[in-house]
Amino acid sequence: MADLQYGDKIIEMRGIVTEVHDGMVAMDLKGRLGTFRIPRRMLISDYEVKVGQEVGFRMSFVEVTSDEVDEKYINKIKAMNDKKERCE
Amino acid sequence: MSLSAEHVQEILGENAVVCCRTQAGSIIAADNLEDPAIFPDLEDSGLMTIPANILKIEQVLGAKVIKTIDSLTPLTPENIEGYKEISVAVELEIDETAKAVLKFDKKAGEILKAEDFENPMHFEKMEDSNLFELSNEVVTIGDALDKKLMTNVNALNPIKPEMLEGYQAPVKKVEKMNNSFKQSGGMMRIRIGEGKDIDIQIPVGIMGGEYVGEVVEEAPIAVPTAAPAQAVVQQEAKKVRSLVKRHHKITKVDFAEETKIEGNTLFIRKDVCDTAVEASDIVKSIKIEIITPDRYNEYSETIMDVQPIATKEEDFKVGTGATRVLDGVIVMVTGTDENGVQIGEFGSSEGILEENILWGRPGAPDKGDIFIKTEVVISAGMNMERPGPYAAHKASDVITQEIRNVMKELDESIFEETEELVQYRRPGKKKVVVVKEIMGQGAMHDNLILPVEPVGVLGGKPNVDLGNVPVMLNPLEVLDGGIHALTCIGPASKECSRHYYREPLVMEAMNDEDVDLCGVIFVGSPQVNSEKFYVSERLGMIVEALDVDGAIVTTEGFGNNHIDFASHIEQIGMRGIEVVGMSFCGVQGALVVGNKYMKHMVDNNKSEEGIENEVLSCNTLCKEDAVRALGMLKSALDGNDVKTPERKWNSNVKENNLEIIEKSNDVKIDRVLNEKSIPLSEKRKAKMGGNQ
Repeated sequence: MADLQYGDKIIEMRGIVTEVHDGMVAMDLKGRLGTFRIPRRMLISDYEVKVGQEVGFRMSFVEVTSDEVDEKYINKIKAMNDKKERCE
Repeated sequence: MSLSAEHVQEILGENAVVCCRTQAGSIIAADNLEDPAIFPDLEDSGLMTIPANILKIEQVLGAKVIKTIDSLTPLTPENIEGYKEISVAVELEIDETAKAVLKFDKKAGEILKAEDFENPMHFEKMEDSNLFELSNEVVTIGDALDKKLMTNVNALNPIKPEMLEGYQAPVKKVEKMNNSFKQSGGMMRIRIGEGKDIDIQIPVGIMGGEYVGEVVEEAPIAVPTAAPAQAVVQQEAKKVRSLVKRHHKITKVDFAEETKIEGNTLFIRKDVCDTAVEASDIVKSIKIEIITPDRYNEYSETIMDVQPIATKEEDFKVGTGATRVLDGVIVMVTGTDENGVQIGEFGSSEGILEENILWGRPGAPDKGDIFIKTEVVISAGMNMERPGPYAAHKASDVITQEIRNVMKELDESIFEETEELVQYRRPGKKKVVVVKEIMGQGAMHDNLILPVEPVGVLGGKPNVDLGNVPVMLNPLEVLDGGIHALTCIGPASKECSRHYYREPLVMEAMNDEDVDLCGVIFVGSPQVNSEKFYVSERLGMIVEALDVDGAIVTTEGFGNNHIDFASHIEQIGMRGIEVVGMSFCGVQGALVVGNKYMKHMVDNNKSEEGIENEVLSCNTLCKEDAVRALGMLKSALDGNDVKTPERKWNSNVKENNLEIIEKSNDVKIDRVLNEKSIPLSEKRKAKMGGNQ
């Protein structure tokens, strides 16, 4: 994307599958670099997916692309948090 | 990725780069070399720089590496010995009949040499990019060679007679390029790249089969006009089956003591949710809302599915007999788990309805539709497990089924409109199959195939349980709600149940008198690669057994499903069958794999930036895409080449193709709108105003 300044700086990431659901797979990124939750559709595998398997991918650094905030998303997050509170 | 010996023969003139670390002393063969198609990307990402003295593939084959080199190292005289020299004459071999366009700036008085001209193979792209225009007055390279320039001419300017000293126009001749004549297997084809005043006379005696002759003008995907065909054997289209849809317009939906339809008003039993909640133990609660157009600006949980309300008459199965349909009203399934987490989270479309729906898409509500919106709450944590989304659909279907039961009892006279869908087979026409890849990775990535009621739940077999193997449906089964989609992620590209009910490609192919649509194959997309190839090979065998001439393969969304999508196309293409692929790609969903059979591709993207924009159905297959795919397939079946795609996604390609189809067929194709057509919230409007 044109607005990324460091989009061409690719780093290799490794992780461990921590959760496998019918619709989603979660992974911890090695080096305490965070967690990742992705739909199964976005995971390529030659093997049946299991907790504990190693995964790898390459990514660029995540950059904030603008100072603006998207009100639509803020409202969504608020609505979801309100709902969670109600549920609790 | 190394090259095959077969492929390398096609690209001898390309730059040579090793694909893997290569030891000193190795002899270069096809499998040491990288595919030149990816060089531009490697250069863009800074992984590789092509030096000026790089050798060509034909030079390095059989040559010896003199020092160990890393992968992606370009082969040059410094790291290789025993390479073949290519004489300058060979390198500058040019087509003298091609138009003359300067490659470098030239001053008045300079003599033009062969190396001064731009390579004609790039003309098409350059003209597309408006770098220059090749009019009739531009002279050929042969005519301009060794002539003296009379004026200064900049690079990329075509040479015209007035620029050259002592130029004499050659005797006018018929320009003939790329012309060929072929007769094989009862079909005769005359191919004319460019021509003028062509008079073709063919003795009828040499003809055999159905085709007498055709003149095809080369165009990206032009649908060719057949030349006057005298003795074409016209075989009658054969009616296979028909389906009647009886429509009744609903203008008001309300709650009442019992579910009923009175005139144009649909009443829903007010305590229907108490029954629906019993559909599954996983369902904790369910409520329904009636969303009329004045409430389009309200918040909604993520839209899981949009479904038509239709029922079969008597004991007819889906795709046969008669179906009763309510117009102006749809069922919208939404839901969360007990923790408030959306079912099908990851790019969900929760939020203000009208900001998240691309109206009028085959799978989306039409503007003006009344929504019967269910909001299902399922057990905590079940939103990503297979039973979760299924339970939400099943509970919602209890409500729809109650409406269906009422519809069955209605007097036929209340249905003001009758529509008949007819499936024809067209013997003698090119036989075509449509292959629809559906998601099959689990959870919401599942579809119920052929339920008892249109888009019902009961009786439908989940494609995941069927092992995702190919299942053949006839077009009327598809258009009668034979697919209940639990729907994928990615709101903009997922195909809701209503999409299949109004599937534009199936409709276009079924009604196209130029092709013989034999059926629609649904094939699931499993998670694991080995399973993907298993189902893909079965698909290849089925398509082989069908003896089709052409196929169109579609998929929804992007991700690992592109691996089997590519494999399906390969399995079909390797059997000598022309195949067109359709997918959302744009910028974000670029294909992860490819193969040499993936040359006819149609992108379903409509979003301005080529991304998954989270607006329901924005990037799904629409009529305009169906028309392009069919046009491309017919063009391929007629033996026309399709232009190489541009390296980066460009929305103009689509527009150009649509214009060509409009011109060739003398039709007007309406373009659908994209996310720019839906409103921004007040807050966002204010924000944008403040920025201006």
